Amino acid sequence: MSLDLQNILASKRALRRELAARPVSEKLRILDALRERELAIRGRAVHPGALREEPAPYGINSTPTKPA
Amino acid sequence: MDIKTAIAVINQMQADGVVERYAIGGAVGATFYLEPVATLDLDIFVTFESAAGSLSVSPQRIYEYLTARGCTIEHEYIVVAGWPVQFLPTGTPLVAEALKESVVRDVDGTPARVLAAEHLAAIALQTGRAKDKARLLQFVEAGVLNFVRFQAILVRHGLIANWQKFERQFVNDTP
Repeated sequence: MSLDLQNILASKRALRRELAARPVSEKLRILDALRERELAIRGRAVHPGALREEPAPYGINSTPTKPA
Repeated sequence: MDIKTAIAVINQMQADGVVERYAIGGAVGATFYLEPVATLDLDIFVTFESAAGSLSVSPQRIYEYLTARGCTIEHEYIVVAGWPVQFLPTGTPLVAEALKESVVRDVDGTPARVLAAEHLAAIALQTGRAKDKARLLQFVEAGVLNFVRFQAILVRHGLIANWQKFERQFVNDTP
């Protein structure tokens, strides 16, 4: 283990490359786990109604109209 | 809570003719090319075809189809297999092109249609929030972009000045 910043940054880059190279199915499982963790950290039940992430605008009004 | 199941449900919805085509975008789309990017929701770009054959952007049929299969509506999302999904119409020429040129990737036997890396990067540039810029930088640093294709997209959609500004701010200063 080194406290040299350049080594640490290089190690981080290597980890990111290694994660990116994993099979998509494995990366999607990681997404499931990350989402569970994020919700837990926010102190909410695992319930999507708690979601308050700002949707990307994508240059459109992205809020759909709910059915009547 | 299983994103692969959510993708399978959306595949079936497409097979049942509710949407003409879909493609995964946003952070989940980026994860097909980069390291996993933590996110709370799933962005799905869709085109709809009305009975008359003309394109429509009504999500009505999507809501009806999914709620009939036990999915619930939460604010602007539909919860599919535990994942809040937002269905987005192709509101700009860039997004329309991205959906048209999206690609199918295999996820352990489940096909998943996802936006191409170059289009995800261009959409991030166009959207322009801080986290979009961070994602764009990830695409650049990961070396997954075909820069000839990416530049052509930027030219077609008037994003060259945005890119040059981004390059000055972030790429050229990267050690």
